[in-house]
Amino acid sequence: MNISYNWLKDLIDIDLTAEEAAVQLTRVGLAVDGIHPHGDDFVIDIDLTSNRPDCLSHLGVGRELRVITGKPLTAETQRHGEELEIPYPTVLSPDFVKIENPELCYRFTARIIRGVEIGPSPEWMVRRLEALSERSINNVADITNYVMLELGQPMHAFDLDKLAENRIVVRAARPGETIKTLDEIERKVEPSMLMICDAEKPVAVGGVMGGLDSSITEQTKNVLLEVAYFDRASVRSTSRKLNLVTEASYRFERGVDINNLQNASDRAANLICDLAGGELGEFVDVYPRPTESKTVESPDISKAVKRLTGLEVSAKESLRILNDLGISEDDESPASGSNSKIFVSPSWRHDIAIEEDLVEEVARHAGYENVANELPPAYHAGEYQHTEETERKIRRTLADQGFDEAMGYSFIDKKHDDVYELVPGLLDHRAENKYVELSDSVIEGAVRMRPTLLPGLVESARVNFNQQNKDLRLFEVGRVFASHLSEDNLPTERELLSLLITGKEIFEERALPGRELDFYDAKGAVESALESAGITSAEFEAAEVKHLRPGQSANISINGHPIGTVGRLNEEIAANYKFRQPVYVAEIDLQTVLAEPRSPVPYAALPRFPSIVRDVSFTVRRDITFGMVRDTIKAQSVELCRGVEFVDVYEGKGIAANERSLTIRLEYRSDTGTLVDDDVEQVHARLLKAVEENLHIKQRF
Amino acid sequence: MSDETTQVEAAGDEFERDLASLGEVQLVDADPSKAEELLRILGELKVRHTGKKSAIAAAKKLIGKVAAEKRADFGQLVQTVENKIVSTIAETEAKLKDLVSKAKTESERLDVTIPGRRPRTGHLHPITIVRQRIEDIFVSMGYSIEDDREIETDYYNFDALNIPEGHPARESQDTFYTTEGFALRSQTSTVQIRAMERRGVPIRILAPGRVFRRDTPDMTHTPMFHQLEGLCVDKGITMAHLKGTVTEWLQRLFDKDTRTRFRPSYFPFTEPSAEFDFSCFVCHGSGKLDGERCRPCKGTGWIELGGSGMVHPNVLRACNIDPTVYSGFAFGFGLERMAALVYEIDDIRHMFENDMRFLQQFK
Ligand SMILES: [Zn+2]
Repeated sequence: MNISYNWLKDLIDIDLTAEEAAVQLTRVGLAVDGIHPHGDDFVIDIDLTSNRPDCLSHLGVGRELRVITGKPLTAETQRHGEELEIPYPTVLSPDFVKIENPELCYRFTARIIRGVEIGPSPEWMVRRLEALSERSINNVADITNYVMLELGQPMHAFDLDKLAENRIVVRAARPGETIKTLDEIERKVEPSMLMICDAEKPVAVGGVMGGLDSSITEQTKNVLLEVAYFDRASVRSTSRKLNLVTEASYRFERGVDINNLQNASDRAANLICDLAGGELGEFVDVYPRPTESKTVESPDISKAVKRLTGLEVSAKESLRILNDLGISEDDESPASGSNSKIFVSPSWRHDIAIEEDLVEEVARHAGYENVANELPPAYHAGEYQHTEETERKIRRTLADQGFDEAMGYSFIDKKHDDVYELVPGLLDHRAENKYVELSDSVIEGAVRMRPTLLPGLVESARVNFNQQNKDLRLFEVGRVFASHLSEDNLPTERELLSLLITGKEIFEERALPGRELDFYDAKGAVESALESAGITSAEFEAAEVKHLRPGQSANISINGHPIGTVGRLNEEIAANYKFRQPVYVAEIDLQTVLAEPRSPVPYAALPRFPSIVRDVSFTVRRDITFGMVRDTIKAQSVELCRGVEFVDVYEGKGIAANERSLTIRLEYRSDTGTLVDDDVEQVHARLLKAVEENLHIKQRF
Repeated sequence: MSDETTQVEAAGDEFERDLASLGEVQLVDADPSKAEELLRILGELKVRHTGKKSAIAAAKKLIGKVAAEKRADFGQLVQTVENKIVSTIAETEAKLKDLVSKAKTESERLDVTIPGRRPRTGHLHPITIVRQRIEDIFVSMGYSIEDDREIETDYYNFDALNIPEGHPARESQDTFYTTEGFALRSQTSTVQIRAMERRGVPIRILAPGRVFRRDTPDMTHTPMFHQLEGLCVDKGITMAHLKGTVTEWLQRLFDKDTRTRFRPSYFPFTEPSAEFDFSCFVCHGSGKLDGERCRPCKGTGWIELGGSGMVHPNVLRACNIDPTVYSGFAFGFGLERMAALVYEIDDIRHMFENDMRFLQQFK
């Protein structure tokens, strides 16, 4: 809201400079964003909170200054109708102004002014309007604007002679009706919208904008001045539906002063007579829905201020602040002397309903800067969320392994639906709508609440490839969503951990990358993350996974529960993104992992005797895995055999095309003495034979 | 001159000749590449001139046979010649060894300015870094960290927060809805309600989390961002505790000279309400940095951070807490804004693009 400093000084005799006034207004909650010189005036730009429409005028800001300075408001704004009133005979008023929808229009006043001469406004008014960035139109239109800026009450002037039958009907729009508004746009209106009509058709959109055909022109001789109060929600809804926000709608939807209509009308009518030479005619005030003043009970305002803010403000000073704000004591209020009072909220304030609201009024004028700085007394120890420690470990572990933490939008495009295999148990496949969908989005197409973090990570890979950064490790910890309801009858939310790697191993501050990353780097990262979560027994099993390349994909489970997948992104997805290098991804259900019991950490006595190791290579078809060989050996339960480790796998020269050479290391040790080769020979041979026979493979050397 | 004497002197001369044949050895700056070879030759010389079969060894055997009156002189001579040979060899050997060692050192000299060998370290997201730092501060101040649902009912997102149907904040079209009519929470205040329902009072919680508003992305807005909200409800809590708490954690996050400023404002879920600013951590409130206008505070010395206030009695009542017995404060602010301030990030859309050139800046 722009406020003219000079205009303010017309309303209240303050001896503050514009700067000083700005500081004081900001202090009490009317945040001044800037002061701009304009000729001999200053324009004060105030950023108002939505609860203070009463300050959308010079009068409103003047009231705040009255509390700040203790100076009275000048007669200019106190003036009431005086001799102006020429009431229209009430019995006839329904013929002249008729409100068909009193639930949308609480009060409507109309003033006739005859014999006006439309022309330019006087210089002083043009200057004031211009200072506040209002364009001067003609004297009558300018006056309606001027009074709105002064008193906060929007109003509209019609050319009386253009109103069919010279009368007004306030009613809801009829189906199919249209109106060309002042901005020269032909608008379709609907029955939920309130129209100001003449005997035949809409002539204004109530509280929003007047119609073009009935507006003031140079030919206008007789004026009908409308000053009314409309239902706030109705104006808001109409303004939204028409996508039309005006200074009038802005004020009406926040609430104007229903008791100030006549005053504002008189002020404008007076100015019109003064500046456009008209003569006052009839005045009618139709008020089908009288509003009662709201009262607020306050057992002890001074005590309440102390209780909520710690400020010591005397009852006397509290009362002064409230009274200067226009919040008066009700006649019903207990006799003075008692602290308990009933206050009446002024009709321009729509935000005063309870004692706490009064506390804010007193406290902001007493000054928030006078509130002390104190810490509340301690009462118990703080705590992190129970998963936080583990999540921090996981994040740190992955970062230490070269992963950057990514963060993606929770809404993604629907085109990713059914492209990715989701973590086990997230979706209810029987449900008709498995996914959560937004009604609309501000990012084109992004209406799907993501059921997987992977599309975001894959998209991030593309972003980085475009910047020629091709060696990537990214992870994200984030929530995914599914539509089936959880216990609290809301859609399912679950926290996942996903990661993506591609390109080569890279080193700090060294330009030359190392080897190509592969499946085992992705798997290793998953294992590290799980180990950080205290899970050392994850199982990986070859599996077909929708978004992964067959033969390079695995299901991950812990304690027999599937928790996710790891593998190479399949060719179809890679081709969609025009990826020319392999990309490996993994996604696990972190929430389930964090709920799993941690693997025990038993202590084993240190070996007292040295062990003997034997490396052995087998020639195997690709369907025979290290895991099978290891499990076969373990299944023999040979006490001396303490471990089976992977050494190497080799393909190529000397090995058949459909086979590879798998080298493993067996460790033998006894707890009762040092083993010699002969002790090992026999068990080793037995184990090898078991492997060869069970898996139908051959030892190479 | 006796034969014996001549013999000894000849041995000395022969050593001199042999030594001279090494040539460059005499030079201090002998070629280190030849030093190893010279050392070998010197070894041979040592054997030839001081070994069991050397002329000196033979001369020593003669000492006893020389006439008694000459024996002392002869012995002296033999000793002198031997000493000279031995010390010359030792000196030369030392010189050569030094050369060899220097040459070895030289050939193995490293460039210590080449970067150390270490795999690239990854980076946590700036939002995570800032969130963890602030969580640490509040946990140490006795707060429990809470989070809850991101998809909410209108009740938790609005009604319980004193934003009834018809309230402008509710109809501002800021809120995302699912096709089934659930709201994406538009503020983390929802967590206040759920936590008060679950934990009752007294309560001190800090709720960081994602929130959603229908803002088109630009340099200072994203339709999804993170908020951090604090809540303290107990008997006797006042706005002074709000100011004290906000000042304390900002002082711990920035420095102990940080000051705060509270300005009256409006939020449906607090009464009285206040926005809070803190003195700029770059210019310490002066608004100037090296004579120039300070960037983070735009020259004002103050940085606007968030909203706060005393919990509205309707909010307490919604959680079955008697507002005549208990009072509380709440405050909240945006983590993206905080991260943007701390790291001077000019465009917060980068936060969700995952460009590694952005991510790797946060250590
Ligand atoms: Zn600064």
